[in-house]
Amino acid sequence: MATYEVFLKKDGRDEYRHAGALDAANDELAMVMAREAYIRRAEGSRVWVVNREHVLEGGDDFISPNADKPHRHHDGAEVAARRKRTREAGES
Amino acid sequence: MNETAEVLRDFLLAFADDEHLMGQQHTEWIGVTPFLEEDLAFSSIGQDELGHAVLLYEIVCELDGVAPTDAAIDALAYSRGAEAYRSSAFTEYGTTDWAEALIRHWVYDMVEDYRWQLVSESTHPALASAAVRAQREEVYHRRHAAALMDSLIATPARPELERGLVVVLTLLPSLFAPVAGEDLLLAEGVISRSLATTAPDVITHIAEMFGEAELGQVPADGRTIRSPHFGPLMVRMREVLDLDTEAVW
Repeated sequence: MATYEVFLKKDGRDEYRHAGALDAANDELAMVMAREAYIRRAEGSRVWVVNREHVLEGGDDFISPNADKPHRHHDGAEVAARRKRTREAGES
Repeated sequence: MNETAEVLRDFLLAFADDEHLMGQQHTEWIGVTPFLEEDLAFSSIGQDELGHAVLLYEIVCELDGVAPTDAAIDALAYSRGAEAYRSSAFTEYGTTDWAEALIRHWVYDMVEDYRWQLVSESTHPALASAAVRAQREEVYHRRHAAALMDSLIATPARPELERGLVVVLTLLPSLFAPVAGEDLLLAEGVISRSLATTAPDVITHIAEMFGEAELGQVPADGRTIRSPHFGPLMVRMREVLDLDTEAVW
């Protein structure tokens, strides 16, 4: 048995979104079972079913260094907040 | 009601009763199939078969000159005497054996596909339009059954499937049994051929999967005789109804 991740897309310009997962013995059974497990009420009009082994996964160690880079936030709010803190520290 | 209409009524009841009982048998697996995903798929297929039965019972109501209300359809589905049903031993047979249930699903949907094809260009418009709707759903039923069979046939589960097939083949002739006077429906174009003529193709498909298969004699009782499984099945189906027969649903 393998675990498969199921993604659904509604009509229009919505992107595919993760709906859940299921276990199946092969690709065809995964597709057949996904239909009734996640789309039995036509919750989407298209479906991706992906064997979890085929998903490339990056972990926390890989990503966490990027958690402290406020200059990459495009609204500028965090940069402005840091400049303000620096300015006020300099004035005191 | 003229003679053709009476035969058509019998033909519709045979088809509807088989769909109804097959749907009932499938839905009895809710909560007890071997794994959750199959539980959802199998009970959905059962619901579809019950839906097909309703489409056919509605046409019976038309013939009877009765409005096809929920109450009228329930009366046809649950409240006739055993002698008025036209179901087959194939769908009446109750089982708690998953191999038998799976093989029966595979074979039933193979035959059901042929059965809808018989009426897809029927001179009876309501029947032809029911066929269009049902055949869209049958594509999934057959794909589901084939996916399970293909994945199990070359595994240690094969002897279980073969054991189930022995039972299902014993029942299969009853599914092909015509109602009395079916020739009238052929003559008037209500059906394009007799379901029994599709039996060799069905047996060929089964033999392709299992290596060999043989069909016994198709009964010629016009579907007037119920099997010993019918009574207990009816008791299970009416269990809640019989708690209070006066209740309004």
